[in-house]
Amino acid sequence: MKILVVEDNERVARFITRGLRESGHTVDHADNGRDGMFMAASERYDVIIMDRMLPGDIDGLAIIEALRKSGKRTPILILSALNDVDERIRGLRSGGDDYLTKPFAFGELLARVDALARRSSEGDAQHALQVADLRMDLLSRRVTRGNRTITLQPREFRLLEYLMRHANQVVTRTMLLEAVWDYNFDPQTNVVDVHISKLRQKIEIDSERPLVRTVRNAGYMLSDHD
Amino acid sequence: MTSRVNTRLMRSSALTWALAYVLVGLGALAAFAATLWYAWTFTVLTAREEILLDDAQRLTAVFQRDGVAALTARIEERIAMQIAGERALLLTDSRYRKLAGNLAAWPPGMEENTDNHAVTASLAGQPARTLLVVRTLPGGYHLLVGRDVTLSLLLERRFAWGLGTAMTFLLVVGALGAILMRRRLLVRVQGIDATVSAIMQGDLRHRLPSRKSGDELDTLSQTLNGMLDHIEYLIASVSNVSNSIAHDLRTPLAELRSRLEELATTRPAAAETFAEIDAAVLDLDRVMRIFNALLRLAEIDSGARRSGFVRVDAAAVAAKVVEFYEPAAEQKGVRVFFEADGAAAVAGDPVLLAQAVSNLIDNSLKSVAEHGSISVRVSCRADSTVEIAVADNGPGIADIDKPKAAERFFRGDTSRGSPGVGLGLSIVEAVAKLHGGVLQLLDNHPGLLAQMVLPVPGPRPAA
Repeated sequence: MKILVVEDNERVARFITRGLRESGHTVDHADNGRDGMFMAASERYDVIIMDRMLPGDIDGLAIIEALRKSGKRTPILILSALNDVDERIRGLRSGGDDYLTKPFAFGELLARVDALARRSSEGDAQHALQVADLRMDLLSRRVTRGNRTITLQPREFRLLEYLMRHANQVVTRTMLLEAVWDYNFDPQTNVVDVHISKLRQKIEIDSERPLVRTVRNAGYMLSDHD
Repeated sequence: MTSRVNTRLMRSSALTWALAYVLVGLGALAAFAATLWYAWTFTVLTAREEILLDDAQRLTAVFQRDGVAALTARIEERIAMQIAGERALLLTDSRYRKLAGNLAAWPPGMEENTDNHAVTASLAGQPARTLLVVRTLPGGYHLLVGRDVTLSLLLERRFAWGLGTAMTFLLVVGALGAILMRRRLLVRVQGIDATVSAIMQGDLRHRLPSRKSGDELDTLSQTLNGMLDHIEYLIASVSNVSNSIAHDLRTPLAELRSRLEELATTRPAAAETFAEIDAAVLDLDRVMRIFNALLRLAEIDSGARRSGFVRVDAAAVAAKVVEFYEPAAEQKGVRVFFEADGAAAVAGDPVLLAQAVSNLIDNSLKSVAEHGSISVRVSCRADSTVEIAVADNGPGIADIDKPKAAERFFRGDTSRGSPGVGLGLSIVEAVAKLHGGVLQLLDNHPGLLAQMVLPVPGPRPAA
């Protein structure tokens, strides 16, 4: 993927660009609003990572608004040190697609970038999801693995659906909390982990190949290859 | 700086008022004098003039009836009878030669028939201010009747003196009053000023002087003192919180620091180094979690989230949180019961309410032993409130700790050593307050019963 990073803090920018390059992406970097605006408007990127506060007269939100007005639909992830609900809403309203608060773990950033790129490339009109021999019929809400039918609670169904839609991608605990439960707070207990392990018990029994992998320091990945 | 500004302000306001009052006083005095002056001129002076005219008329009649000799005799007789200088009389022939009278010579410039000439003429040997009436008689004789008005001049002068003295007195008293008033006010304002300056230096214990007299400045001082009490209370609680923050953040930060420093000095093998770095990141995450909880609290306390309130079914919110925690409870061998008598509508923020219930369940889950139980109940109460109650059979909170349990960073003896940042109940209380409700911590015999009591929105049912 080709990714533009607009971030003025040198250390944070190096941390992001190095990580993204190591994950196999092509990364351009702008350290101010003017360059960022120019690059975002003239090149074609798969995802733009935009710092909310930039030095000089153009800030991140202004760039996003200008890009959206000019018809650019590139998915944008906003980075910000502002954590208020209001700020988050303002960021998303200005045309951003996701909002990540500093400081963040790199795994969280990568997972969200992948999710954004995936969202823009696939259509929603799917009736069935399949990962390896695990199949989910979205209309009849039936889940099968091979010939075995799996019975899931509604919330477990949504959890699995999210994992399958983001198959071969890392999804973080925060992303799951937001997508499956609509919670944007941080439960002090590892509740999400317990939900995942319950789900694992249902979809990986006996000698079946494990599908849900735990990614250290990041989250989980539903994967069809080893 | 402030002191100088205040002094200048006071000077101008006190003096301006005093000056205004003095001017009003002078105006009243002037109006009084003008009226008196008018009365004097048009009543007393006109009457005098009429008497002179009468005299002239009478003497003219004597001349017309009995001739010049009779008039001369009459004038001589009159002069002999009167007090020296009371009346000025003079009869001359056509060439202004004196025939009779008490004036030495005809005053120059008085040739025509005129009334009311105020001139200085010589009466009884001395110059005196005189009011004159002049008549030309048949045969070219000239008659002059006058009156010495030196006395009334004296009166006028005295009146003017009196008026001047009164005005000066008014000015002096007004100025003195202004200065005294200013000084009095200045002393009190300087008292206030000194106190405020002391407070601005950072000592919040000072209070404005108040004399219990109930005047305007006193009322102001008392109001300001009330404000200072409140500010002092707020500052004290803020500094309490910052002390707790400092303590709770310092501990993980100290751990992190020593971990990194040790790493830098001992330089262990790569595998161990990476393990230590991972641990350091976890330390930092802990700091961030405390930080985020504090920011969340500040956000709730600011009341900004109230603008996003919608109609929420508290029972549905609680049910979802219970479902969210069930697997975790199951894993620990704890049973969770949920009970709700139908929908319980409140006006609120669904995510914050979920977080509050989640914190309560989280607390209970940490405190109950294996095979314990937690029960969550949502009910509409008769006093048109909604109650969200989370009860457990854990060790509970000691009675003396209950009032403090929701304070920021409070860790009771029972919870010490268990994970958590000590802000869970604070957030629950803040959420309850934001929704116009309260958090009550009660005894569950045994265990803790935490109740969030929230008001029901909309029209209350008729009592």
